[in-house]
Amino acid sequence: MSQKNKGQSPRLDRLTDTLVEDILASSDADLIAEAAADNDEGATLARRAFERASRTVRHRRIAPNKKSPPWRRPAPPDIRALDPKTARGWLDAYLASNPETAGALDRGGRRDNKLSDEDVYGLLEALQQRGVLTEKPIAQSRR
Amino acid sequence: MQPRHTGASLLTQVEVKRSIAALTAPDWLRLHKVARALCRAAAFDADDLLQEAFQRALDGTRQCARTLDIVHFLVGVMRSIASDWRKARKRRPEMSLVTETGTWQEVVLWVRDTRPVADEVLMVNEEAARLREAIFALFVDDCLAQRLLEGIMDGLAGAQLRSLTGLSETEFASKRRLIRRRIDKAYPKDWTP
Repeated sequence: MSQKNKGQSPRLDRLTDTLVEDILASSDADLIAEAAADNDEGATLARRAFERASRTVRHRRIAPNKKSPPWRRPAPPDIRALDPKTARGWLDAYLASNPETAGALDRGGRRDNKLSDEDVYGLLEALQQRGVLTEKPIAQSRR
Repeated sequence: MQPRHTGASLLTQVEVKRSIAALTAPDWLRLHKVARALCRAAAFDADDLLQEAFQRALDGTRQCARTLDIVHFLVGVMRSIASDWRKARKRRPEMSLVTETGTWQEVVLWVRDTRPVADEVLMVNEEAARLREAIFALFVDDCLAQRLLEGIMDGLAGAQLRSLTGLSETEFASKRRLIRRRIDKAYPKDWTP
């Protein structure tokens, strides 16, 4: 590449830099007048870009695991590693904050220690699969 | 050397979001105009560049010092992204633009962009010369503007650039604005008239 060729792009870059500096130095009134004269909808477009960016960032924060492939997703805690008392405590905590579910279990005659340990683990696993169980770290050697 | 910032000297992500949301109409306009100017030489979409800059500011990838004006901060982010995108195109011309669809690297979507890269176009000597002539031709009625343009392209700035023309500061600012306005109208999207 000749020296002449090499110099062409930086010349345009310097022009771009100067144009950007001029935009930053322009008064609010001048920019508004320019936009009115040119039917420039840049302000609206910029605001929309911000709204799209906000939605994207919010979405990433809310559901990061759904974006990750299965092999990178952390494995859910193994419910059966809980000792029976802790498991029953977890279920009670869930039922206390979800009275409708508790009512359904009562109607089915499945409460008041009538649930076997297997029932408790099964229910917790079902809740876990539905993603409604508030999980805590489990010491895997408890059982 | 860049000054080091501690956590307290940087805006939090919530503060960044509030600062951007509170921008005035002229500031939104300013940002969009800068995005268009930066994209003109690279054939990127101004809205995409702006959105990427907002995302990096909002998710904390780029952090804003409390002492820095938020518009100037966002312009700096846009410059950096535009530069990265252009470099990426040079390295991987067969799959230039990268659109990240999620936070995890495994789900990066590679979008093939078949548009010609501005730098590659400019490497063709005749094409570059034609463009330069076309830009100067916009100011065929204004010798001062042409002299200013020559100085800008040669890398002069500030008082040195102004001394080329003998203009007062106000007159110099007006002339620079005239140059910007004519180029904006002649080349609204890229360096193709």
